[in-house]
Amino acid sequence: MLRRIFILTVGTGILILIALSCLVLPNKAQAIPAFARKYDVNCTACHMAPPVLNTFGQRFLENGYQLPGTEDGGFTGKKKLGDVTLDDVGKYLAFRLVGNAVRNWSFQQQNPAGADAGVVENKTEFTFPENFVLFAGGTVAKNVGFMVELGHDVVAGETDVERGFVSFNNLGAHNLAHVRIGKFDPSAFYSVVTIRQQLNDIGESTSSGCTPYASCSLNRVGLGPGAFATKFYGLYDRSGSAISPFASTLYNSGGEMGIDVHGRPFGDSFLYQVGVLNGANENFGDTNKGKDVYAMLRYDYAKSDYFAVNFSGFIYQGNSNVQVQSHQDVNWNRYGISTRATYKMVDLYAAYSIDRINKVPTGVIGNFDATATGETIGMDTYVTNSTLLSLRYDNIDAGGMMDQRTSASFIGAKPNSTSAPTLPSLPAMTLTCGKPMEARPPRGIFETPFPPASISCSKEAPYASPSPC
Amino acid sequence: MRRHHLASAVVLILMLGASSPAHAAKPDDNPATQAQGKVIFDRTCLWCHGVTGTGDGPAGRFLGRYAAPRPRNFTTGSFKFRSTPSGDLPTDQDLFRTVTKGIPGYMPGFASLTETERWQVITYVKSFSPAFLVETPVSLPLTGTATPLGPESLDRGRALYERFECHTCHGVEGWGDGPVAQAGDLRDVSGLQIQATDLTRPSSFKNGATLQDLIRTLLTGLDGTPMPSYASRLTGTDHDGWDLAHYIRSLSAESAP
Repeated sequence: MLRRIFILTVGTGILILIALSCLVLPNKAQAIPAFARKYDVNCTACHMAPPVLNTFGQRFLENGYQLPGTEDGGFTGKKKLGDVTLDDVGKYLAFRLVGNAVRNWSFQQQNPAGADAGVVENKTEFTFPENFVLFAGGTVAKNVGFMVELGHDVVAGETDVERGFVSFNNLGAHNLAHVRIGKFDPSAFYSVVTIRQQLNDIGESTSSGCTPYASCSLNRVGLGPGAFATKFYGLYDRSGSAISPFASTLYNSGGEMGIDVHGRPFGDSFLYQVGVLNGANENFGDTNKGKDVYAMLRYDYAKSDYFAVNFSGFIYQGNSNVQVQSHQDVNWNRYGISTRATYKMVDLYAAYSIDRINKVPTGVIGNFDATATGETIGMDTYVTNSTLLSLRYDNIDAGGMMDQRTSASFIGAKPNSTSAPTLPSLPAMTLTCGKPMEARPPRGIFETPFPPASISCSKEAPYASPSPC
Repeated sequence: MRRHHLASAVVLILMLGASSPAHAAKPDDNPATQAQGKVIFDRTCLWCHGVTGTGDGPAGRFLGRYAAPRPRNFTTGSFKFRSTPSGDLPTDQDLFRTVTKGIPGYMPGFASLTETERWQVITYVKSFSPAFLVETPVSLPLTGTATPLGPESLDRGRALYERFECHTCHGVEGWGDGPVAQAGDLRDVSGLQIQATDLTRPSSFKNGATLQDLIRTLLTGLDGTPMPSYASRLTGTDHDGWDLAHYIRSLSAESAP
């Protein structure tokens, strides 16, 4: 037993060192290279453009990190943990580095407090990528999968488990029920795929001089968690700053603690999903007195040449217990529909959702819009073998305090250089066209650690996004 | 001497057989097997190969994007990975090998399907091409002496590499950077640009990297790609195939599979 622990410890340590060698190729992709190594395929087998999954990748995910239609966990490419060797460990681990080697500002930056006011500067500097993410994922046995995503923010000195769950798959019969237990993204199977979604929790925005949760601080009641809320809510962060819908910081959906069941018991066309979560907003007063529950139904059609389409609908009952104002529960519902279609190398998607707060805090009744809505329409397509063009339209009506609520629309285009299959990764440069926006200040491990920057079509994009490792 | 050649041929045939992983009882090609194969195909294969088997599944276009390879079109009856002469259909064992081992870089191996399930899905795959109803593919006989790896064999292999002009595509050092490859002139049958295989990375060889795999590839070629069959130039020779395979393997630092 001690010998096994020793081998695992030493092996893991060595693998971490190997993973750190990836630093020479900074990495922003959400793909899990361990799976590509395990099955000896390129990322394109599962990804339309990492991290966006294609239909094969979606089915792989649904099947608990096993090939679609199979239950290969125990014996394809891997051994059980008890028989692990260094070679095998390499098939479990993956690494991602988030950040840039160089960053530029073309905006006017204020000097720190206490310095001469009004001094402005343009700035370019070399930096070291600040966020490290270590993935371990795969299967430990037939129909038993797992995923751990460990992130470390060098600047903040914080380490956190962003995701960590075990899945028990194909319970009862093939595709009848897959159960996930732990901290996971509940919206992983939604039509507008998870990695396009990120609800930057619209918590109680604070105004200067106010105490949190005091009446003057309330802008929008917290609507977290991000489950199923397509990221049009991410247009604004909690401080009201706009965020690019293409920002890499939005490409991670927050994990939630809970239990989730999904499957396709009625043939291949319909996917069901139900789950129970703690819910989010612990930081904003969620007592977890009541759990959040959700259900999702998805219809898939993939039996036509080059073409696949799916439609999803969900309902989410949240118990945020935000306890704002009079410490009342702030229960809310979220409903939504979404669709995604792929034709050849064109990927179209759209989503609409509604959030409605059922119990408006008594202190703001009459001055509070309890409904928030949003819609998104987008398209990704490869225009060359290594150029992905993304177009996107978002609209949000954030609700909240009548005199403070903010609605916004965004339309943008982004050409993104991606590595061609089988070729070494190339640095990707993104250029976002839209109204000026600011990167959000660092709050968590996946937040963009960059200072505010303005982006416009005529200027050099400040984000030289690194490429997959 | 003749007895020695006969023994070598027998050994080769046995080795070829050993490289084929199928040992389970193969179900008959009948409608029931085909129907069972369709169920597996719809769950597992159609995402890339498409519901009609033409290689136009919803995920297929993303594999190589604007470059080869795309998923195999089963309706044409043209297959890359065979033990049969160029232009012929593959044997069932050939298909079984591909399904089981996959194709490095592009198709995962489906050893997780039971052997019976793999045979069933192969029966269904064959139903896409009517050619399988009228033709009975036969593997090329592999002749020649299994020569040991040594300086003489490598020298002969290097000479064959030059004489067969392998370097025009694969490069002098085998890096896949021959002048024809660098010019971007290599296209597959659908007109998509294709890269010459980097011979220094045997783990990426789509048709396998054992000596037997290499000899099979040299003999059969890869239909639909610029890789021709060298059967006419290798058949009847005593050890040319082995020498060339040894030399190709010597271009890589990777350990032999």
